[in-house]
Amino acid sequence: MTTAVQQAGGTVDRPSSSSLADVVDTILDKGLVIDAYVRISLVGIELLTIDARIVVASVDTYLRFAEAVNRLDIAQDKAGLPELVGDMEHGGAKHKTKGALQGALEAAGDTVQELVGDRREPERVPRRRRRDEEED
Amino acid sequence: MPTASAGTYLFGIVPADVEVDPDARGVGDPPGTVRLVRHGDIAAMVSEIAVDRPLGRPQDLLAHERLLDATVTEVPVLPVRFGAVLTGTDAVVDELLAPNHDELLAALRELDGKAQYVVKSRYVEAAVLGEILAEQPEAARLRAAIRGKSQDATRGERVRLGELITQGIEAKRQVDVRRVVAVCDPYSVSMDVREPAHELDAANLAVLAKTADEQQLVRALDDLAQEWDGRVKIRLLGPLAPYDFVTDLRPEG
Repeated sequence: MTTAVQQAGGTVDRPSSSSLADVVDTILDKGLVIDAYVRISLVGIELLTIDARIVVASVDTYLRFAEAVNRLDIAQDKAGLPELVGDMEHGGAKHKTKGALQGALEAAGDTVQELVGDRREPERVPRRRRRDEEED
Repeated sequence: MPTASAGTYLFGIVPADVEVDPDARGVGDPPGTVRLVRHGDIAAMVSEIAVDRPLGRPQDLLAHERLLDATVTEVPVLPVRFGAVLTGTDAVVDELLAPNHDELLAALRELDGKAQYVVKSRYVEAAVLGEILAEQPEAARLRAAIRGKSQDATRGERVRLGELITQGIEAKRQVDVRRVVAVCDPYSVSMDVREPAHELDAANLAVLAKTADEQQLVRALDDLAQEWDGRVKIRLLGPLAPYDFVTDLRPEG
């Protein structure tokens, strides 16, 4: 195995064995297709997730992204865009009298402090549930 | 029409001069022993299977891929699509191996010393949202407009914001796919860019590479992972059997 010892990020992740999701993604619809005459079946396959690789941009997706933005830690904002942060109700109102950049920095600092305690909810994994394990 | 209760499950095609590990297990319940059906210079890797119940349990998929992936580390293999079952050993020879012997052999020779690697990358949500908010004043404005307000009261703004983000990710994806392709290109014999499988997917591609070049490929991707640390997570699967590259090797029909 060439898997590197995990460092603090910044390396390619090389799983030593494929997860079911990876397997589905790797082999479904792929591989040599043999002539229809010689095969009994590609039938009778219970497809687990035929839609696993289809990304549909839906209103649900949009709303989810919007909510993710809403919950986004303001400290994630790119620095150096004071007008952006300054415009926000948040920093804007509070630091009206200060220079834009300074206001922005403080606004960011405030928000980090405000949010650090109650946030960090578990990361949502918007992966479709699969009806697999049921009839093992 | 087949009424038999047993069939011959087909995994892939390998050169005839190989051996199968006697412990290798096939698909189905209980899984059959994997054996080779030889003809000339090629052989089919098969196992017996009951055909009265559907395939497709997780362990069937895993068994199919694991056998093929274990094989490609030793010898060239043409993976057959999951779920191919023939009526028996005779059918394997008469209908598959004999009529296609030369082109299957040629394909095996072409794949000798090569394997498939799959690069999967996904944006770190907070990072990519931050980029888009910084780049698009309209998105930043909408963000401010929904802040602290209920979903119902700001539904229109939210939909518009989400749409901008989706478009922003799509634009980034186009740029980043080109980047990943460029990074892999020097070590690749062939490439197949896959469609995103998830709304936060960056670039997904299958690379056919010489196994001798694997370390260089990994190093190049490590460099990219470092550059994109905190922004994009990169995973590399492989060596795998060349699932994405075999359909090209045989003419239609």
